[in-house]
Amino acid sequence: MSFALLLVFLLPALGVPFVYFAGKKSPKAAAIIVALLAVVNIALVLSTVPSILGSSDHRYVESYNWIPILNSEFTLFADGISVSMAVITSVLIVVAALFSINYMEGKKNLAVYYALLTLLSIGLVGVFITSNLLLFYFCWELMLVPAYFIVGNWGYRDAYKAAFKLFIFTHAGAVFVLLGIGAIYMVTGATDMFTAQAALMNVPDVAKWILLALTAGFAVKMAVVPLHMWLPDAHSEAPATMSALLSGVIISAGAYAILRLSLGTVFPAVAGTTVGIDFLHGLTIFGVISAFFGSFIALVETDIKRIIAYSSIAHMGYVMFGLSLFPSAAPEVGGTIAITSAITGTVLHLINHAVSKGLLFLSAGSVMHQTEARDIREMGGLAGKMPFTAVSSTTAALSIAGTPPFACFISEFLIFVGAFEVIKADDFYLVPTAFMLIATVVSLAYSLRYTSRVFLGQPKNGGEKTILDVPNWMKAAMAILIVFVIVLGIWPTFFVDLINTVSFV
Amino acid sequence: MVELFDVVLPIISLVAFSLLTLPVFKAIRKSHRKTALTLAWFSTVFAVTGAAVANLTLKYYGLPSPQPFLNITVTDAASATLSSAFMIDGVSVYMAIIFTALSAAVFLYSVFYVDSSQRPSERYYAVMLMLTAALIGGVFSGDLLTLFIFWEAAAAGSGFLMVYKKTPAALNSALKYLVMIIIASAFVVFGLSLVYGLTGTLNFWAVKQALTTLADKHLLLLAFVFIAAGYAIEAAVVPFHFWLPDAYAAAPASSAAFLSALIDQGSYYVLIRVLVFILTPPGVLDWTFMLAVMAALTMVVGNLFALIQDDVKRLIANICVADVGYNLVAITSVTSDGLRGNLFFFLVGGVTTALAFMTLGLINRYGFKTLEDFSGLGRKMPLASLALFIAALSFAGVPSTGGFMAKYLVVSAVVNSKFSWLAIILVLMSVLQTAYLFRLVNYMYAKKPKDETKIKEPFKLLVPIFILVAIIIIVGVYPNIVLDLIEHAVQQFPLIP
Repeated sequence: MSFALLLVFLLPALGVPFVYFAGKKSPKAAAIIVALLAVVNIALVLSTVPSILGSSDHRYVESYNWIPILNSEFTLFADGISVSMAVITSVLIVVAALFSINYMEGKKNLAVYYALLTLLSIGLVGVFITSNLLLFYFCWELMLVPAYFIVGNWGYRDAYKAAFKLFIFTHAGAVFVLLGIGAIYMVTGATDMFTAQAALMNVPDVAKWILLALTAGFAVKMAVVPLHMWLPDAHSEAPATMSALLSGVIISAGAYAILRLSLGTVFPAVAGTTVGIDFLHGLTIFGVISAFFGSFIALVETDIKRIIAYSSIAHMGYVMFGLSLFPSAAPEVGGTIAITSAITGTVLHLINHAVSKGLLFLSAGSVMHQTEARDIREMGGLAGKMPFTAVSSTTAALSIAGTPPFACFISEFLIFVGAFEVIKADDFYLVPTAFMLIATVVSLAYSLRYTSRVFLGQPKNGGEKTILDVPNWMKAAMAILIVFVIVLGIWPTFFVDLINTVSFV
Repeated sequence: MVELFDVVLPIISLVAFSLLTLPVFKAIRKSHRKTALTLAWFSTVFAVTGAAVANLTLKYYGLPSPQPFLNITVTDAASATLSSAFMIDGVSVYMAIIFTALSAAVFLYSVFYVDSSQRPSERYYAVMLMLTAALIGGVFSGDLLTLFIFWEAAAAGSGFLMVYKKTPAALNSALKYLVMIIIASAFVVFGLSLVYGLTGTLNFWAVKQALTTLADKHLLLLAFVFIAAGYAIEAAVVPFHFWLPDAYAAAPASSAAFLSALIDQGSYYVLIRVLVFILTPPGVLDWTFMLAVMAALTMVVGNLFALIQDDVKRLIANICVADVGYNLVAITSVTSDGLRGNLFFFLVGGVTTALAFMTLGLINRYGFKTLEDFSGLGRKMPLASLALFIAALSFAGVPSTGGFMAKYLVVSAVVNSKFSWLAIILVLMSVLQTAYLFRLVNYMYAKKPKDETKIKEPFKLLVPIFILVAIIIIVGVYPNIVLDLIEHAVQQFPLIP
């Protein structure tokens, strides 16, 4: 189909009113419509895979008329990385919708909730499948408004305050992205990232400022220390489904954007110069700081969701470290920057982290839903009462800790393999890599602490209260992610092969 | 061929309708179906005016090769430099179209807002029609004197809109406004007299020609300072902006909508026409640095004052000041990209502020004025809150609203010019703007209301409000509709000698 990706945009957009009116009658029906829309999106995105593998540049492109005056087309494209990210995003949306059926039961205004979830999915998937910078920015900001209301309205405690922080911080980041995009347009006259890339090669002086503005903007969304302040609040006060999407996909979108726009589009213009190398080294340092900072705070936090939120910061540190291993040599004229195992590992880590962290947040949500507690010091011995949740939590926590055979092991392994390849050429990376290896130990520590405090040991006060395991829809939703975490850990070949077809420049 | 008649037709028809409104309303007052008849009357007015503007547009673009400056003088060509003149170009045609459209939207709202079923206030409508006529006359002016006459008529006349309710605050702020306007006019007249002395003409063309060949520029500098200061006062450029928040906040909502959507945009138009088109550097004077500083100041002051407001209407009025700053940013680039940004911003800024004031007029009726009063409004008045929320998104420049496209165009115009630091100030101010607007949104949706009573929102007032919401979203998602119209003006810009 030559309009598959257009449908990915249109179906949820047209679906919003249906979801809303279905939700007025029965929230369950709305949830199932949202899930079905996302399943159709997965099928549509996957339908482009044969053309990607078949074409010479491994890219599938659709283009429609949009704003010709600004040289801006409604360009949708898919390559290995986009497809992988879009598929995993849609999987998480399916899971979030199904999980909501029981989880959100009895809450008010669920019709609006599901309509907002649909709206959110347009932006979330759209970010990964467009190459037009303006359209990219549209999708980038389209994530924000639904996220604000979902976190604020259906969250815990001081939810609107957290939502406010989320909106202001990420919007502040986004205006720097806007500055970068505007500059790209003015310098090159192009709003398509691939056209702009070639044109930027001639203006390295401007390119370095654009690179800085874009990266700073994206790093806010990615919640790299010191731009992480919004994340712990937003992720811990949001409803579990939204936390799963925030931690799984939205911050990954920041990482994806750095890879695609900062590194893939603008960086080649300064590659090979000292500016370019310093830039990559800077990313490394921020990555290491984030990994350490996140891991250590996660080790001492006592709030069940804040532990996971800080672990997300730590994992974005790994991703940042992985991104900083981007090939720093200048591409030859007309040549390409081939993908390295570090970059493959980084993208794979985004996918694996999305499913693992999604699962972990949903499990934590299940615990909070059933026990109405959130301090891990008051918990314990839940394994006997909530066996399914205990299994899902343990799977997710072990994956987060990087234990084989679960998903995150493979991708962390690939990042480290890539790091050693790079060290051969640039020994700057030696010390950071050593630090990153230490950080993985800490991540194992907080994961084990989390599972043992919550699920093992003796029940604390309130032990006489009967606590049941989660209802079936929540189990089904988590089961999907458990399957993904294990399958991706044992057989990541599908995504690895897809990602390896990508080349930059 | 475009005749003089085609140009004056929209102006004349609006003036005639304005005068006719008085006797027509005498008749309407006797009837039982006052609202329906009022609406019918204004539909006729805007149908005729719209047709006149459309006729001019089609004739102008139907010319074999549309000239960048189509000059039409009242007297014959021999004494053209002294004659009062009209001028048509892409910019003026575009401005006439948006003035007519916005004026129609504000009228639709006013008819219900001032409640014509009780006491149809013919003088209020007549003044608004007259002001629209003056604005359209202003954009078609071809010499500085004609521009001065039409524009001062619009600026001073809008004082009537402010005092419509005759509250002490309104009288006070209108007085302040009129004093400022009179000072501004005096400045402009003095500047114009110097220009006339220097060049012997006031015709845009001829002035520009004469100025580029001028040897001694000292007097010109003086003249320019007076003209620019005069128009800057009227456009509420910081530090001459103090009248604006008072005036807009004290005026009734329909007047505030009219002022912000039309008069405000008119004042930017005058600035653009004088600065960009006539005094374009480097041929004449380099005014861009001074204006860049003022643009930065206006953005900062407007947004900071909006930040500390407790009264929501004053908050929006201060955003109008900030909008002046964003427009000046685009002017400083003096490129066709900047012009595109400006023209797009006129429409979007006008529609968004009008939407905000209209919605506030509806909300204020129920006694909700301060941020504290707005607590839980999202539940009490869901539709009005939604409209205000969309206006806030557009002000903040969130995509899928027109405000985003406008800010994008302005930022991209300036980011590659010599004032790229302005772009950084603009985005920082944009963040600040988002912050205080979301504080408002937070009050509307997050806070608990004092009482949970639901309010039945008047459907009639919501119709014009949601028309504007639709415009903001359509222009945001598919800006082509407007950009195509602007493109004519943008293409002409480099052709101007």
